[in-house]
Amino acid sequence: MSAPLEHWVSTAPFDPERTTSLHSKLSAELLAASQARLFWWRLKRHRMAVLSLVVLGLAYLVAAFAEFVAPYGLSTRDTQHIFMPPQRLHLVHDGAFVGPFVYPMEGTLDLDTLERQYAEVRTEPQPIRFLCRGEPYRFWGMVEADLHLVCPQPGGTLFLLGTDRLGRDMLSRLIYGARISLTIGLVGVGLSLVLALVFGGLAGYLGGRTDYWVQRVTEVLRSLPQLPLWLALAAVLPATLDPLFVYFGITLILALLDWPSLARAVRSKLFSLREEDFTAAAEMMGARPSRIITRHLLPNFASHIIASVTLSIPAMILAETALSFLGLGLRPPITSWGVLLTEAQNIEAVALYPWLLLPMVPVVVSVLAFSFLGDGLRDAADPFAATAG
Amino acid sequence: MSMTPGDVRSDQAERGRLTIAAAVVLAVLAWLCAALPAGAQAQAQAEPPILAQSVAEGRLPPMRERLPSEPLVTDLAAMDREPGVYGGTLRILEAQARDTRRMVVFGYARLAGTVPDGSIQPDIARAIDVEEGRRFTIHLRAGHRWSDGEPFTAEDFRYYWEDVVNDPKLGKNGLPRELLVDGKGPTVTFLDPLTIRYEWGKPNPLFLPAMAGSLPLEIFRPAHYLKRFHAKYADPAELERLVAEAGQRNWVALHFKLDQSYKNTNPELPSLQPWVLATEPPADRYVFRRNPYFHRVDAAGRQLPYIDEVAMTIAGAGLIPAKVAGGEADLQANFLNFGNYAFIKRAAERQDYEVRRWRSGRGSRVALYPNLTVADPAWRAILRDVRFRRALSLAINREDINQVVYYGLARPSNDTVLAGTRLFEPDLATRWAGHDPAAADALLDAMGLGTRNGAGIRLRPDGEPVTIVLETAGEEAEQSDVLQLVTEDLARVGIGLIVKPVERDTLERRLAAGSTVMAVAPGLENGAPVPSDAPDELAPTTSAQFQWPDWGLNFESAGRLGSAPDLPFAAELVRLATAWRATIDPDGQAEIWRRMLEINADEMVRIGLVADVDQVVVVSNALRNVPETALFNFNPGAFFGMHRPDTFFFAPADQVAARAPEARP
Repeated sequence: MSAPLEHWVSTAPFDPERTTSLHSKLSAELLAASQARLFWWRLKRHRMAVLSLVVLGLAYLVAAFAEFVAPYGLSTRDTQHIFMPPQRLHLVHDGAFVGPFVYPMEGTLDLDTLERQYAEVRTEPQPIRFLCRGEPYRFWGMVEADLHLVCPQPGGTLFLLGTDRLGRDMLSRLIYGARISLTIGLVGVGLSLVLALVFGGLAGYLGGRTDYWVQRVTEVLRSLPQLPLWLALAAVLPATLDPLFVYFGITLILALLDWPSLARAVRSKLFSLREEDFTAAAEMMGARPSRIITRHLLPNFASHIIASVTLSIPAMILAETALSFLGLGLRPPITSWGVLLTEAQNIEAVALYPWLLLPMVPVVVSVLAFSFLGDGLRDAADPFAATAG
Repeated sequence: MSMTPGDVRSDQAERGRLTIAAAVVLAVLAWLCAALPAGAQAQAQAEPPILAQSVAEGRLPPMRERLPSEPLVTDLAAMDREPGVYGGTLRILEAQARDTRRMVVFGYARLAGTVPDGSIQPDIARAIDVEEGRRFTIHLRAGHRWSDGEPFTAEDFRYYWEDVVNDPKLGKNGLPRELLVDGKGPTVTFLDPLTIRYEWGKPNPLFLPAMAGSLPLEIFRPAHYLKRFHAKYADPAELERLVAEAGQRNWVALHFKLDQSYKNTNPELPSLQPWVLATEPPADRYVFRRNPYFHRVDAAGRQLPYIDEVAMTIAGAGLIPAKVAGGEADLQANFLNFGNYAFIKRAAERQDYEVRRWRSGRGSRVALYPNLTVADPAWRAILRDVRFRRALSLAINREDINQVVYYGLARPSNDTVLAGTRLFEPDLATRWAGHDPAAADALLDAMGLGTRNGAGIRLRPDGEPVTIVLETAGEEAEQSDVLQLVTEDLARVGIGLIVKPVERDTLERRLAAGSTVMAVAPGLENGAPVPSDAPDELAPTTSAQFQWPDWGLNFESAGRLGSAPDLPFAAELVRLATAWRATIDPDGQAEIWRRMLEINADEMVRIGLVADVDQVVVVSNALRNVPETALFNFNPGAFFGMHRPDTFFFAPADQVAARAPEARP
């Protein structure tokens, strides 16, 4: 048998608001914080999500300023350096620190094996220039400029990720490809989100006849086979249309086919939430359906929406890659990561020119980053998750 | 003559016994894998080991009886080749099950066939006498037999002539084009069991080349086999049963289905080729076994082919280079291109093969075909203006294409006959084919295409941009790279180019409908012609020609369909092509060829880009008698066919090593 516990009584006066009043610094901040601030705090705790956010932010920045960041133009060819492996970056020449520089590469064609061999000429280092005047371009197709983040020495080369079969810089093509690959999916996802919220919201909130018809339409849309549809579209659309426009159209159609699944989730969630007391209270106070849906109902399952949206963006990137790989999506001269991978779709790339497979890296990185970010956003938006302490 | 049969028979019985003894010896040697070349040569008259057993058991007559009394003797020494040894399986790769037809091309046994110097020599026929270019007397080889052992005689020719092509049901489509001269067919007489005569009122220079074609005109059929399926000969009840069994509509359909020697899908169809299909389709690996009755022998009298079997594996076209580098082929050229060279070469030592470069027989590796009979009137007006075609040609930097895509090893050239061939003149290859964007601009401006839109593309008189949709069946792997460079070049002179990949069948349909503005394909099929080859490729003669399908259709249908050429140069080409048919002296033929080549070069009807892109040929080191370099072409040439694959053989010492990977299923 153990001894009875000692009975201890605090003599301090009892303050019933101890944990919620201004006396506690933490509580004070929590209470004063806006929803957005709370959201940000929760997101910050998710390390991978923050890291992904940074990575994606940088990626979109690069995509936005592709002309400035890329050392070469999209279709600039260097016939003297075809299938050249990545040029190595050096810092020290002959024991002396020079800063980042490359050695010029000298190419020879082996007439027996028909392989192009490149060797560094180690006598004359070519320092990389920063914020420099280089190849002229039209920024976003509008503004004439020639300022680049990095440039090769005049007459020199700077192929940090090697060159392809026509002597084009892989790094520059990756950067230009990011612009297409990272943005084209957003349009489709955005449109499908809006459609899902509108139709799902109406069906779920109004119920009855509206719900019946929205349900039938979604069933029809979900039963359409997609691949034959794309094949038919690819055959029907006139070839003179801008290939980018064609792909844009395909993503729109993809979005039109994609919204039913999210709409169904929205509808079923609204069905249950509209029976809650707080909805009844809002109705009593005379709120209109649109206000009730957007202010009272949607925030309750924002986490679900965010999760599904952030997961659709990488799905769109992968879909672009897959469609281009099949020859249905983008076609040269439009350059996306999928197009670059299609061009590396042969045994030679694997055996002789492995750097042509590099576009896999940004695809994997961006898809992972979106997934981690989506994970973090979902946790942060979930009102039922444990609050920050 | 009358006394010979008995004598021959007794002699053959004697020889048969000898052969059995020899075969046993050779079989033992082969069993020990120790057959030395000298030993093999001592057994020169011996049976191929693979047949020795059947001969010994009496299931197959001995070689002497299987061969015609006058076989085609191949002088290997004159061809700079060595006598071979029997045996081995030649492994080749193809992309589709329908490619079983390739073996009819590689085998290349024809009544008469093209030889490497370009002339046509008798092959299955012992001799063909030609009088005045219009009377052809075909002499067969006595004792020649089909692959099933039945005699091959004039009866097989009679069956084709009377019961196939002139049968009211089977011959519904009329005579093949090559048998018609001015719309009239030949008079065919069967002089004796070994002699057949085809006779026209006027010369028919298409007759021999058609029979020597890679896709041949065969004027004989295995009558003994096909009669079972012909209503005239078969028992009606039995025939009905056969038709029902095969699930065919009627006997005509059944006969047609079984009688496809070129498609080569019926293992039962008797053949005269060196290797005969032994695998019932469908399959993904086809075996072709030696024809024990093949009519060619080497100088020592040994029956060809040396190689016992050809094993054709069907693999995806994209996988074939990888499979070759994995050592899965002994002889491969199809589906290998210049871009694969470095990769294949890397594995050469490890897999014990050699990578050779054969000269391609095509006039151009890549050529643009402006469709002069396109339906759209605005495009038609532009494309028919020779200034536009010349401007396109001048705007393209061919040397750049050569350097970037072909390592600088090809030759920038117009689409014409190849350099070094008989009809070649340097001017044909270079006229309007230099790189001169300024001249191109001037030509286009002079045409009234001077105004440009915001993107720098010229505008047609009706205000639409001059943006060409270039349709391609995309069969050459590096074509898209070439076209990318062409697109850049044309953009510099204000012409837009959009490349649209389409299925080959779709492309042909669109061309027939006049929907295609421009197409891209390889150039002239016969880049190394001799004057006696038909110059049909240079004139509108078939609807399959991309640059003028409608005019071609007109010629093909003798004026019933399509439209007659309404440009003077095209009408002149048709006139010349027709004149060639009536010309039998070689000088006259050569003169017509020169005029046609001249018009083609000047009018720029096909915009050739690069020529002399070598064909990559992979040859196993164990395989002998394969030429170091040669001309590789479909027609004439039959790919390897002209170079006599029946004389290829596996060197004995390497035979075991070469066959080892064959163990897989």
